[in-house]
Amino acid sequence: MSEDPAMPASARLVGAHVPLIDGVEKVSGRAEYTADLAHRDALVGRIFRSPYSHAKITRLDVTDALALPGVAAIVTGEDCDVPFGVLPIAQNEYPLARDRVRYRGEPVAAVAAIDETVAEAALRLIRMEVEELPAYYDPEKARMPGAVELHADRPGNLERDVHHEFGDVEAGFAAADIVLEKVYDCAEVTHVQMEPDVSLAEYDAERDRLTLHTCTQVPYYVHLRVAQCLGMDTSRVRVVKPYVGGGFGHRSETLNFEIIACILARAARAKVRLKLSREETFVTHRGRPATRIKLKIGMIKDGRMTACACETLQAGGAYGGYGIVTILYSGALLNAIYDIPAVKFDGYRVYTNTPPCGAMRGHGTVNVRFAFESLLDQMADELGLDPFEVRRRNLLEAPVRTINDMMVESYGLPQCLDWVEEASGWKARRGNLPKGKGLGLACSHYVSGAAKPVHWTGEPHAVVNLKLDFDGGVTILTGTADIGQGSSTVLAQIVGEVLGLDLDRVSVVANDSRITPKDNGSYSSRVTFMVGNAAIEAAEKLKGILAEAAARKLDAKAEDIECLGEIYRVQGGQDPGLPFQEVVDEALAESGTITVKGTFTVPRSHQGGRYRGAGVGPSMAYSYAAVATEVTVDEDTGRVTVDKVWVAHDCGFAINRLACEGQIQGAVWMGLGQALSEETRYHKGLPLGPNMFDYRVPTIVESPDIEVKIVESIDPNGPFGAKEASEGALAAVIPALANAVADAIGLRMDETPVTPDRVIDAILRKERGRGRKRSAA
Amino acid sequence: MAKSILSLVLNGRRRDDAVADNMLLIDYLREVAGLTGTKMGCDGGECGACTVLVDDRPRLSCISLAYTVAGRRVETIEGARRGGRISRLQRAFHEKLGSQCGYCTPGMIMASEGLLRRNPTPSDDEIRQGLSGNICRCTGYVKIIESVLSAADGSVP
Amino acid sequence: MEYMPEFSVVRPATVAEAVAMRAADPEARFVAGGTDLVPNIRRGIVAPAKVIDLNGLEEIRKIESVDGGLRIGAAVTLAELIEDGRLRADYTGIVEAAGAVAATSHRQVGTVGGNLCLDTRCLFYNQSEWWRRSNDYCLKSRGDVCHVAPKGDHCFAAFSGDLAPALMVLGAAAEIASPSGGRIIPLTGMYQDDGLAYLLLGADEMLVAVRVPAPADGFKTGYAKSRVRGAIDFPLAGVAVGLRRDADAVVDLSVALTGTNSMPLMIEGTDALTGAPPDDAMLARLDGLVRDRIQPMSSTFSPPGYRRRVVAKLTRSLIRRLYREG
Repeated sequence: MSEDPAMPASARLVGAHVPLIDGVEKVSGRAEYTADLAHRDALVGRIFRSPYSHAKITRLDVTDALALPGVAAIVTGEDCDVPFGVLPIAQNEYPLARDRVRYRGEPVAAVAAIDETVAEAALRLIRMEVEELPAYYDPEKARMPGAVELHADRPGNLERDVHHEFGDVEAGFAAADIVLEKVYDCAEVTHVQMEPDVSLAEYDAERDRLTLHTCTQVPYYVHLRVAQCLGMDTSRVRVVKPYVGGGFGHRSETLNFEIIACILARAARAKVRLKLSREETFVTHRGRPATRIKLKIGMIKDGRMTACACETLQAGGAYGGYGIVTILYSGALLNAIYDIPAVKFDGYRVYTNTPPCGAMRGHGTVNVRFAFESLLDQMADELGLDPFEVRRRNLLEAPVRTINDMMVESYGLPQCLDWVEEASGWKARRGNLPKGKGLGLACSHYVSGAAKPVHWTGEPHAVVNLKLDFDGGVTILTGTADIGQGSSTVLAQIVGEVLGLDLDRVSVVANDSRITPKDNGSYSSRVTFMVGNAAIEAAEKLKGILAEAAARKLDAKAEDIECLGEIYRVQGGQDPGLPFQEVVDEALAESGTITVKGTFTVPRSHQGGRYRGAGVGPSMAYSYAAVATEVTVDEDTGRVTVDKVWVAHDCGFAINRLACEGQIQGAVWMGLGQALSEETRYHKGLPLGPNMFDYRVPTIVESPDIEVKIVESIDPNGPFGAKEASEGALAAVIPALANAVADAIGLRMDETPVTPDRVIDAILRKERGRGRKRSAA
Repeated sequence: MAKSILSLVLNGRRRDDAVADNMLLIDYLREVAGLTGTKMGCDGGECGACTVLVDDRPRLSCISLAYTVAGRRVETIEGARRGGRISRLQRAFHEKLGSQCGYCTPGMIMASEGLLRRNPTPSDDEIRQGLSGNICRCTGYVKIIESVLSAADGSVP
Repeated sequence: MEYMPEFSVVRPATVAEAVAMRAADPEARFVAGGTDLVPNIRRGIVAPAKVIDLNGLEEIRKIESVDGGLRIGAAVTLAELIEDGRLRADYTGIVEAAGAVAATSHRQVGTVGGNLCLDTRCLFYNQSEWWRRSNDYCLKSRGDVCHVAPKGDHCFAAFSGDLAPALMVLGAAAEIASPSGGRIIPLTGMYQDDGLAYLLLGADEMLVAVRVPAPADGFKTGYAKSRVRGAIDFPLAGVAVGLRRDADAVVDLSVALTGTNSMPLMIEGTDALTGAPPDDAMLARLDGLVRDRIQPMSSTFSPPGYRRRVVAKLTRSLIRRLYREG
């Protein structure tokens, strides 16, 4: 890889194709996920879930269930009166419902029993009596005057409304040659990570200590919430994250079952394994909300945008979760991709009697980006501009501070566009494809870590510890949750790179609160950027210690020492140098086992503005992506086949090219699922497809080839110039697909997913001659 | 609860265990035989994570009753190693990043192994058909196809 | 461990034993591959106390050439069907239909009998016990109301097997065993359009084989399926066509459907359409015949209007394809 001009000259480990350091465990079945941990001595946990959408609990009788032989404990809302929620300002959820249930499937009670059969029998003996309340599944109805409030402190069931205006929007529209306004609808989607939810909680009654193994992206948040809900000192709680079978945001907040497992374990004074079914995992949800977007863009004839106004309504589900962050992201990230002089955003996050939504890959931006890139494409069409041209007319020039106070210092979108245009054969092929085939383009971007942490503790945003001992092994201690994205591998590469070591010499110990430093977790694509920077600092410190040791042995100055291929030598010198172990021995002779620490904090300059809601959106760096799709539309069946996807993603610098490609392909493909087939619909609050038949995650058969180009803009603040690579490309593929469908059959799909029946409906609407929704300036 | 003796060859070893009539094959493998490499991903036959081989053919162990493999050769991911090392197919999944979170991987590899035994040089399309019942949520499948192709053509040692 | 209701398994060695066991315990369920029954047990939809395992019945595990046609045992797997040289040569529609069932791994154990007797499916039925209880169950199981058509007293769960229409257009017959002997009936006679009782089989009866006559020279068959994904999905609608072309005319035409009703449908009256090429006039008349028979309901995630439309489109394109090939 060293011929790549973007690479640091000395690079060996960073910038390479490096298979995951835990890949052998995964392909050999030795990787232990939470459900695989020893549990022969564990009780079986099961949750009794509300069959009602919205009701006051008038009586909950567990007497018969508790009397069943083999039942060790039953817990209810009585057992925990402390609410939880990921945002300290929106904690309105109890692990087990108290007094009121707000969605079908909400946990009401939980059983710990000797086996599955007894647990199941106990559930059937629990009696729940209620007084039903009106339930709202549609956010418009939840907002109607007179609607019963889900939460007493939220009139109109409005969890949060956001009203931001930057620049003069009215003047912008007035100056435009064309103004289009359209409404877009996106169905609710969810993560469907392959591993169903599961926790293993063990309570040590002699010492009043609790150990929780759980499938989380955020062990630290889980630790805090478990201690809070159980009223335990945090030092008495230990949280361990085993291998995790994907997350995609589902596990980026503490989930009710994790706390329930702990409450059960303490009540039973035992070890409890709480394994959810796939259906329960669907109900636990926290995915992307059903969203209605009314979007208006003004443009002058050459394609430059003059203003944008966006109104977004999200059906948030029954509890807060990340909801406030989601609605804020939806507005904030209208910016920082194009140069739009005036942007207005009105966002409404509404409580509904459905399972709570939350963060999902591309958090907050995806549905708005679908609307934006669709409308942009349509306007280009109306003005006779090429889709690439209209985007190029609106590019930012980095470095720049956006109108809403976000700092963009690296910006590879132009290069992304160039590659996609070339690779897709756009110029020659678009407009010349056979009937039913089309090409579509769209762009998107994402943060590389939210600049403001969820908890304002004043601590650094990331901490990495390194340990070097007599054995010559370097151990990285990190709280970063590798959920399959490869964060442990990237950290090992970074540390090995800085120290000039082979990858094999570096090992990673992660996610045991007893051992590893706190980390905020794997979400908002923060890990490579923040933890990576902390790892560089830690490794530089260790390198300094080793260089001094080597300098003593070589009778040289520490600053002249370099290490390559595990040999320390004087830079430019001819001597054979010292093998790493000799340097280690010398360094340890001075101090014994060496531990160093590196930290990283986003500086205030990059933490955003001072207006209300300014804390969501700012990041120290933004990734950029351009995506082109080629589709075939069967006008008989309405089926859209994706023939090929080209994606260029500016991840700053690819520390691990293999993992970056994999992440980008995965993100694009997940977007295709939302674009084509995935949706959650409810029947009176019951999810209609809480299984992997009816929730249609694409199979390998219809999934296209995805050709990836990594664009490296070398971010000035990223570790080796790196930015995020896992989320940014997701949002673009959905409008790229819709735009390709428009190119293929001349119909603009303004609803996702673009299922065969929706395509046929659109064709029939057109045949019936109905005009489209539109308002001209 | 009616039980019977299940005699089978599991990863090359003969075993005899008493299993209840209603025991699922996946529970036999994970809970009785202690082979937790095989994963449960859904509520029954929807995702393929539980795929094992029975007499060389892929089998969804989460919707198979354990007694039905009596007298059969059953192979799980734990039995995929060859000569004390991971097999060529496993190495391909590792080196080509056919596995990210790893949860679908045991089922995906066993389905691929079954495919390669039936068809040692599958085309792209034959790989897609062979793995059509195995959902992966991480990779977008591109690198899974590359993994199987490179194992088949021997480009991974 | 997964929660599984308790049941015991009996393993007959002969068909006679199997039907005797069923006669003695009409609530017992037959199982072969288990791809239909076991998920339904795991979901708590059915909880049989006894399961009769048909895997030991060697007599129904083979495909035999009989009278120029084929006798396909009910316990033959879909994978075996697809791989059989005789079927690949002369019964393309059956191979296409079998290949469209679920995914490769399901087809290794899923059987002909299982697919022909596949329980009817519905969004309100194929759900967990908790889900269905929360929704007051449904007419098909433990409830009083069909959520698809709440005012009626009829269950509209859809028959979702792919194989039945492909066999029907070939004029297949069902060989049915019972303690009192058995009978052979046209496959079409095994079904009725009632999601609750879609099989016209007595409690002591069992489908043991299908007999497929040899297709007339030049009689081509095919199967087309509507589904959102490329695999796994049950049919939103499926159509099988059998067609013989002579010069510029269709001289034989059979059409059968699945996924649209609670039974697979043989479209009657297609004989009257022969003698002409499959032009718009002929296909429009066929559309009319199909339209009169199908009744897709909101039993699937995709809306009924779509399924109604797509079945006509699939039929047209399949007929054109077979005509071209013919």
